[in-house]
Amino acid sequence: MQSNAALEYDYSVAKLFTYTAILFGLVGMLLGTLIAAQMAFPELNYLFGQYGTFSRLRPLHTNVVIYGFTVSGVFATFYYSAQRVLKVSMAESKFIMFVGKLQFGLYLIAATGMVVTLLLGITTTKEYAQMEWPLDILIVLIWVLWGVAMFALIGIRREKALYISMWYYIACFLGVAMLYLFNNMEVPTYFASGGIGSMWHSVSMYSGTNDALVQWWWGHNAVAFVFTVPIVAMIYYFLPKESGQAVYSYKLSLLSFWGLMFVYLWAGSHHLLWSTVPDWMQTMGSVFSVVLILPSWGSAINMLLTMKGEWNQLTENPLIKFMVLASTFYMLSTLEGPIQAIKSVNAIAHFTDWIPGHVHDGVLGWVAFMIMAALFHMAPRMFKREIYSRKLIEAQFWIQTTAVVLYFTSMWIAGITQGMMWRAVDEYGNLMYSFIDTVTVLHPYYAIRALAGVLYVTGFVMFAYNMIKTMTSSKVLTEEPQFKSPMA
Amino acid sequence: MGIRELQGYASFLMTILFVVALYGYIVYLYRSEKKGEKDYEKFGNIALDDEIDSTPINSSDPISDEKKERNK
Amino acid sequence: MFHWLEKNPFFFAVGVFLVIAFAGLVEILPNFAEASRPVVGLKPYTVLQLAGKNVYMKDQCIACHSQLIRPFKAETDRYGQYSLSGEYAYDRPFLWGSKRTGPDLHRVGNYRTTEWHENHMWDPTSVVPGSIMPAYKHMFSNAADIATAYAEAVTVKNVFHTPYGDDIKAGKKAWEAYRPKVLAEAKKIAANMKNKDVKDAVNAGKVPEIVALIAYLNSLGSSRYEANKVK
Repeated sequence: MQSNAALEYDYSVAKLFTYTAILFGLVGMLLGTLIAAQMAFPELNYLFGQYGTFSRLRPLHTNVVIYGFTVSGVFATFYYSAQRVLKVSMAESKFIMFVGKLQFGLYLIAATGMVVTLLLGITTTKEYAQMEWPLDILIVLIWVLWGVAMFALIGIRREKALYISMWYYIACFLGVAMLYLFNNMEVPTYFASGGIGSMWHSVSMYSGTNDALVQWWWGHNAVAFVFTVPIVAMIYYFLPKESGQAVYSYKLSLLSFWGLMFVYLWAGSHHLLWSTVPDWMQTMGSVFSVVLILPSWGSAINMLLTMKGEWNQLTENPLIKFMVLASTFYMLSTLEGPIQAIKSVNAIAHFTDWIPGHVHDGVLGWVAFMIMAALFHMAPRMFKREIYSRKLIEAQFWIQTTAVVLYFTSMWIAGITQGMMWRAVDEYGNLMYSFIDTVTVLHPYYAIRALAGVLYVTGFVMFAYNMIKTMTSSKVLTEEPQFKSPMA
Repeated sequence: MGIRELQGYASFLMTILFVVALYGYIVYLYRSEKKGEKDYEKFGNIALDDEIDSTPINSSDPISDEKKERNK
Repeated sequence: MFHWLEKNPFFFAVGVFLVIAFAGLVEILPNFAEASRPVVGLKPYTVLQLAGKNVYMKDQCIACHSQLIRPFKAETDRYGQYSLSGEYAYDRPFLWGSKRTGPDLHRVGNYRTTEWHENHMWDPTSVVPGSIMPAYKHMFSNAADIATAYAEAVTVKNVFHTPYGDDIKAGKKAWEAYRPKVLAEAKKIAANMKNKDVKDAVNAGKVPEIVALIAYLNSLGSSRYEANKVK
């Protein structure tokens, strides 16, 4: 081991993805706030001509936060923590370094292409798979490069046992690869018609009900393998490392891993309850969604118990606060999801604002909190400076927590109101409300949601400012902190 | 209708199989730890002790490790 | 066995893949043939309607409107007969949507007219006071991409055997020959519209997006197969 005395972990790729996570996070959340405000105040639709309507910006918002912010965060934390749990440095292999940097370069091209094409309305409209075929090919390439880097790092590892985080990253890689490929099977019309029309346009390989099944098999599992699996990977590394406490039960973490892998894929058809999909499949989706609570809560409880006897850290360290709240929101949304998947509840909830409400208590409270905490934890180690301001983190925490609570409470009420009004009948069995009644009644909730958006973005701006200050002008550290991240 | 039935049986059997495998895994985990063959909980320390020069929790014997180093 | 899996990252990965792929294989694949069968008499979209569908996709109407009527009394009262799997047989992609900020549109062709859509797309609040839908005035000036729509018809005909006529075939020449038919259909829609610029554009041989979109919206509903049912 002496030969490695001068060897250090190399964070250059992790740093690059950290920058894009901050950038796309800011853009995506600003867009989200704008479209939330548009629902309360429709005049805001006309700020940018045909490129600024709610309908054009909504997919842009979802894609930028998913493929821009979250995926950047996943790559950044992967290139940071994989080295550490495998105990190899990227600097040891020129090949891995090259693959990592190439992956980043292509990622930047694809992300820019995504923003431009969606603004222009070039889209397949399949949710979270809106990008047209040339970008799909690029994304497959990026994903393959990630896999190459991942398995190459595993190949030269010193630590023979794979830490649980690595299991989750591997699952993320495999799951997304399979689902993305299947769902984006499409035929470019330009080539199939002898060169007529637009190069960009394509048609789906599947039609109608089949297309819906494949899409929601993907749509649901994009949530699984982008918003859950890699984020669990993060919390299994960053929470123990930041708190100095080993995972409460490593065995439980292994079990929840396999449980999650097994159950999650089945649950996809719960997006299609009461549709034209066969009945037994809808029932399967419903049942497995409920079973899904077990492995999800297994992980979440494991995280909370990791802090057993160390709850004082919650007041002393704001990063612990972020991560503990993140796992709490994870529990909340993994309980809420199965409830919505019960057929009778789904009859009311589907198509309403309760669904975006559910998505956002997951992504704002769990995904984004965890990614921000992870990046905060990485910053002093990557840039060798202490975190710029602890006070700012504390303020950010409270502002954003308030925002999440405002968001999901307003959307719960809005969604249930809407669902009940759609089906309300008078004493003669006639519908009581015309559709527009169910829209205008939601105005106050849309306004509250827009306010929640403003608060959350404010918090994110504080995060970005804090990170930039940490990178550039904070106090220099002489040696790497072991557990708790130092902050001024 | 044939394929539908087949589909039903296949999913039922596979579900049983996976459930058995999962439970088997639980039994295996706890048993191997009780017998002292393995200590899973020590893997939790991989995240805590993750300096590049710290001793791996689980490495093959040091000689073969060194060989690999030289071969690179 | 378990011990061995934990030690071998490659076989571990294969294991994970099998576990996650299994659900998809059982759940999705075997049903394919059955679910893609069209209802009796269903006609594929015309080229103009396809162009309209592409406008619907481009401006992401799907962000707020569903095309799936569920089998509840409240929904069939509001929107008409519940949706059948076979009605979507020629929909690539499916456009069910996942959010109803606005009403369902799967049978909008049964109860709305060209005039209504024209007024509504120009200024939604003029026909629906209190509407939060933005106006889509740019659809009145942007030209619809009918060439791409034709390419799409050729593609689905050749690759997926969608029953189009013999006049839809690959190659630029065939497209030039087909073009007047699209324009004739557009003229029929424009005849019921009042916007001067749109009428002028159609007369000059162009198809504004709004014309294609209305053709598509009018096609949504039972008219696509009911007229052909009794032979």
